[in-house]
Amino acid sequence: MKYLKFILIVAFLVMPLIASGEYKSIDDLAKAYSDETCKTCHSKIHDEWKSSYHSQSVVHSLGGIRNFIVVGLGKEWNKPVSKEHLMRCMDCHAPQLKDASESLIKEVADLIVKAVDQKDETAKKELAKLNVNCIVCHNMKVSIEKNLHGAPEKDTYYGPTGKASPAHKTQKSNVIKSAAFCGQCHGIYTPPDGDTIGCNTLYGSYQDAYRANGGTETCQDCHMKKNNRGHTFPGAYQVDILKEGLDVYADITGVRLHPGKWIPTVVVNVGLTNKAGHRTPDG
Amino acid sequence: MTAKTDKGTIINIGKKEYWEIGMDIDGDHRLGAWQIKEIIDLTLPPKKTTKESFVTELPPDTKSAEVEVKVTRLAGSKSFELYKATKNLNFEK
Repeated sequence: MKYLKFILIVAFLVMPLIASGEYKSIDDLAKAYSDETCKTCHSKIHDEWKSSYHSQSVVHSLGGIRNFIVVGLGKEWNKPVSKEHLMRCMDCHAPQLKDASESLIKEVADLIVKAVDQKDETAKKELAKLNVNCIVCHNMKVSIEKNLHGAPEKDTYYGPTGKASPAHKTQKSNVIKSAAFCGQCHGIYTPPDGDTIGCNTLYGSYQDAYRANGGTETCQDCHMKKNNRGHTFPGAYQVDILKEGLDVYADITGVRLHPGKWIPTVVVNVGLTNKAGHRTPDG
Repeated sequence: MTAKTDKGTIINIGKKEYWEIGMDIDGDHRLGAWQIKEIIDLTLPPKKTTKESFVTELPPDTKSAEVEVKVTRLAGSKSFELYKATKNLNFEK
């Protein structure tokens, strides 16, 4: 009886804590990780982010995630949708889902399949509430040295300056200015289920080909600071930055080949210099 | 890369694609991120100039040709023209 009392008390104490971290609907989860209050003071940055692919990190990648659910999990691994497995995509595409219940994970997976297979716009609209927003970069993903500095503090926003704000706690972060920070998602990734994933190898070529050949700029230098790009993070879908990253020359000349036959012949010599900090093309 | 002759014929001079082949452990080409464990890197490496040469014979009676060189980037379903050059060549003696 004494033990039963102890178990009951412990259960009552622990249950609400677990419940508060297990969201059962997209709306509740999106509200807990909302970027709405951020735009009150940071409207310009918020507008920039809204135009970026980070704000569409789920809906812009629906095809690939759907294939993992239907083909990878469903046919090849023959495993049901679970939080452990879906997080191999979502730890980067919508890390907030770490706080989702298993039932919400299944709902999200169903919506992804519906949005692609049935071209269901309502499903897509729901999924658009999940993305890589302010909280993801300025809190959740900011500690790549957890053993040294600990996990990010709750309700604290980390930035390159750490400038104090009356609205929230702030902390200066050197990590957020580094390429290693972006490399968490823009590189080869080993998710918690232990099975490596190769959807993005960008950071590998940044380290092994760009840095190894004397390159010193960071992702932020080209994709944020240059031309005041800020939080628009342009990349493979914006022609300006694509042109900036590639120098091309084409020497075109004509020659009459084979003496006596004099066959009109075109000779083209082309040179392509990749000025980006990583292989191109890449994701 | 094309040449349009004075007779209006369009002749293909050549095409070069830069991309990554994603493979599984068995060496089979795969498209799913969960399947890809290795790559064959056919992309343009950073801080390097990649040079290509193309030599194409035109029909013997060609007097002139307009040569066009284009560099296009494909991203998902989108396509972006990054470079274009044209040159008129005269083959008459």
